[in-house]
Amino acid sequence: MRRKAMAVLLSAAMVSSVLAGCGSGSSADSGSSADSGGTAATEASDEAEAAVNVADGEVQEITWMFWDDLNATEDLITIGYKEVVDRFNEDYDGVYHVTPVTTNLEEYYTKLNALVASGQTPDVFIVSPGPNLDVYVEPGITADLTDYLKQDGWMDTFNGGEGAFSQQTYDGKIYAVPLNIAAACVFYNTEMFAAAGIDTMPTDWEGLLDACQKLQDAGYTPLTISAGTAWCLSMLAGYLCDAEGVDLAAIDAGEAHWTDDNVAQAAAKMLEISQYFQATAAGDTNDVATANFYNEEAAMLIQGSWAIAQINGANPDFEDKCGVFAFPGTNGRVIAKSDSLAMSATTQYPEAAIAFMKYFTDDTAQKYTAEIGGKIPVTTVDYDESVAPAQLAYVMDVFSNAESTFGFYNESLASTEAGSTFDDAMVSIYLGTPIEEGLQTIEDFYINNVWN
Amino acid sequence: MDKLLRDKKAIIIFVAPAFLLFTFVLFIPICQSVYYSLCSYDALTKPEFIGLENYKQLLFNDKTMKIALKNSLFFMIFSCVSQLVVGLILAAFLTNIEKGRNFFKNVYYLPCVLSSAALGLLWMFIFSPKLGINQILALWGIEGPLWLMDVSGYINLPMKVIAFVALWQYVGQSMMLYMAQISGIDRNLYEAAYIDGATKPKAFLYVTMPLIRPMIATAMSLNCIGSLKFFDLIFNMTEGGPNHQTEVLATHLYTQGFKYFKYGYASAIGVVLLVLCLIVTFIINKFVKVDSYEM
Amino acid sequence: MKKISIAKIAIYIFLILLAFIYLAPLVWMLFVSVKDNAEIFTSPFALPQQIQWENYAFAWTAGYLGRATLNSAIVCVTTLILSMVIGSMAAFAIARLRWKFARLMMTYFMIGMMIPVHCVLIPLFKTFSGIGMYNSLTGLIIPYTTFSLPITIFIMTGFFENMPRELFEAACIDGCSIYRCFLSIAVPLSKTGLFVTGLMSFVANWNELLLAMVFISDDMKKTLPVSLSKFVGPYNTNYVQMFAAIIIAIVPTIVVYCCFSNQIVDGLTAGAVKG
Repeated sequence: MRRKAMAVLLSAAMVSSVLAGCGSGSSADSGSSADSGGTAATEASDEAEAAVNVADGEVQEITWMFWDDLNATEDLITIGYKEVVDRFNEDYDGVYHVTPVTTNLEEYYTKLNALVASGQTPDVFIVSPGPNLDVYVEPGITADLTDYLKQDGWMDTFNGGEGAFSQQTYDGKIYAVPLNIAAACVFYNTEMFAAAGIDTMPTDWEGLLDACQKLQDAGYTPLTISAGTAWCLSMLAGYLCDAEGVDLAAIDAGEAHWTDDNVAQAAAKMLEISQYFQATAAGDTNDVATANFYNEEAAMLIQGSWAIAQINGANPDFEDKCGVFAFPGTNGRVIAKSDSLAMSATTQYPEAAIAFMKYFTDDTAQKYTAEIGGKIPVTTVDYDESVAPAQLAYVMDVFSNAESTFGFYNESLASTEAGSTFDDAMVSIYLGTPIEEGLQTIEDFYINNVWN
Repeated sequence: MDKLLRDKKAIIIFVAPAFLLFTFVLFIPICQSVYYSLCSYDALTKPEFIGLENYKQLLFNDKTMKIALKNSLFFMIFSCVSQLVVGLILAAFLTNIEKGRNFFKNVYYLPCVLSSAALGLLWMFIFSPKLGINQILALWGIEGPLWLMDVSGYINLPMKVIAFVALWQYVGQSMMLYMAQISGIDRNLYEAAYIDGATKPKAFLYVTMPLIRPMIATAMSLNCIGSLKFFDLIFNMTEGGPNHQTEVLATHLYTQGFKYFKYGYASAIGVVLLVLCLIVTFIINKFVKVDSYEM
Repeated sequence: MKKISIAKIAIYIFLILLAFIYLAPLVWMLFVSVKDNAEIFTSPFALPQQIQWENYAFAWTAGYLGRATLNSAIVCVTTLILSMVIGSMAAFAIARLRWKFARLMMTYFMIGMMIPVHCVLIPLFKTFSGIGMYNSLTGLIIPYTTFSLPITIFIMTGFFENMPRELFEAACIDGCSIYRCFLSIAVPLSKTGLFVTGLMSFVANWNELLLAMVFISDDMKKTLPVSLSKFVGPYNTNYVQMFAAIIIAIVPTIVVYCCFSNQIVDGLTAGAVKG
């Protein structure tokens, strides 16, 4: 019996050594193909680096995790990322190879955290700045990218240099690279505005209410918004809070409160303008609210600039009628958001990961971002404005005229949960909860979870 | 005979695969979970032992937990009763008709085999004010309510809507279980009953019901436990919103654990859920289950 | 027996109305799946203006649905067989064999039914990825089998317990081993139970999303539900193609179900359940 077991073990060992032989054989093959790949990639920026790795004779295999499927998507930004991945794999054929790992947004962080918890952090992953990024930076899961950015003038390609990284910087170190910027603006139907006799865009709160009233009198639904998707309503609430001078830093420090007058004032304003919402606002989801706008059932839509691609994609004729103005009465402050890439601190191949990240911010990718994706590029790339969607130019105007920017409220509070608590409180106030009671829930959350 | 049934080796061979799988895939992870429930643990950093802090917070300080408990209990009682009644009625009807029995049975069972995630999405569409049945109601001049957003009342409208959708989806399951049992009943028993002058409803009440009691207990405990763990439909129809008003235990667990990554806290919710399931099963076994019945 | 009673007519009307409630949403889904995305918002209930079969083609290729269907089939069929074999063995031991811990063992298995998957997700994932079962179908089959066991054991125990003792006694006298008793008497007589549990576990696993989502990253190994969620984008959802994909995904379950359901009916009419 024992002898038999030995025999099995021995044959198993032989098989595995044969397999190992195969393995080294194939890696030798890939080494030689890496050679040709290396010469083909001379136009790729990192020739020297590539050469070093060719000497190693191994393809450096990295993973990139993303929150949308690259093939099944209709999202133009995602399609652009797919092109980046393909371009990278082609240029570095035999040297580096990236495999995308995708989930949908709903399960993205669940999966990412499971991977992190089991020590398999993807080499590069996308993340929203704010509390979502905090949780990866604090335990040292993401790598410090400052040195990489300062090499070869990578950082200088960014619009605003180091300033472009303010949301990704912790204690002077940069932990993520932004890929594009979206700004929350008011999109409006120029025909309806003309028909209602509005020639100048509102610049303050009264002006906005006045415009709403005129639109309503002219028989239009003034504003389409989604309370079914909480963050959409919260975008409006965030603007109103900021306009009332709500100071998030002071709140985080416990020096100001959610029950303060200025927050209540903002909530009251939200209720005031809610009379101009479409009738079904309480139950409409984000998709429906946006569709109301491009199907010309409502005159205004408050949305992030990612909606441009969606609007033009669904109703191409609408592009000419769609105008954009900054949310009025905020002293020139604009809500902005950027998707960012972080690198695992434990990645085996930092060079490959960095080379890959550079592909997202090179001219080709950034041009695509502006011209087709309709988002604001992060670098100083020259793009063809005539190709880009008409609305992008307006959003760029809003963005460049902004005095300063601030984050989406649900991504700027003390934690992700604090953000959701804020969103939920605003929805419940809109649905009829008294203002004091609604704000008290946020206050309670802070008492229990933040200030202790 | 007795010796054969006490064969230790046979017992081990029969039970070992299931036992080992259970221990490694469920029991050990559950123990880990119980330990995590005593920790502050976010899945990204090492767990840090904090004693009963999570449970204190959960049971005394968490408003959402109260809502979730209320909704879960409502949901459990509703599904238990409605599935029993509707399931039995359907089973009785279907065993009493000849034409189209298979068709109706297949139709009613159909949603059970479909993904509740997909169906949740479908029903969300149907109850959406802009796209759904409200548009049809409007044709008759009826203004439909906000099916999934109206949160007034102790048990709010969205919970009732979800409970009905769940009934729609799962009643086929109970129906099938009852039908399987009813068709197994000896025809002669009915013949005897009819000869004694029983009407069909009477026969159902006095012949069928007692004979399918074990299955009723079975179906009820399956329903109760299933509805306490209920997740998919709610998650896809409302995600627990608006403002946590349709949260149940499983969605609360999911939100805390996988949206906010308070993994230790979510484990504590899981433990509470497990304890509740145990209590419910105990009660059903105590009061409903009859001694195993030889037909 | 010629006269049709009013009660019968009422029953049929009720059943037909109910069938409408069951089928209408599904038919509606079929309509939506051949519309284009804009039409959903403008006229959700109207018939499709132009039938867009290309939604199906797109869903099939972009979602790798062919591969996903194969993966789902491999996982579900393996799980089905494993859970029926392992589950009925354990159920037999609990229901028929005489040992001290039978009740305790039953309770142990029943606890499994009460555990939400979410509770064990992260510990399980840590263990599995430690032993190289991340990104493999085996890594799904094992937990799926385990999660299907409680219901299988639960129902099968009921079936085995309801069998008359005389059957086994007679077999024993004829010199049957306990294994033969199980294989030749208990299992054939509980065919109905096996079909019901098999169907339940097949359906549950065919639709399972969370574990599959976390355990599988490789596009070539994703199962159907994971592939369906590909159509949900970060800001907008690709509804029509998603519904097309959903329809592609539910067709196999309906086919499997139809095969199984006839078996169940056959089994029932043969009186197997009577025992």
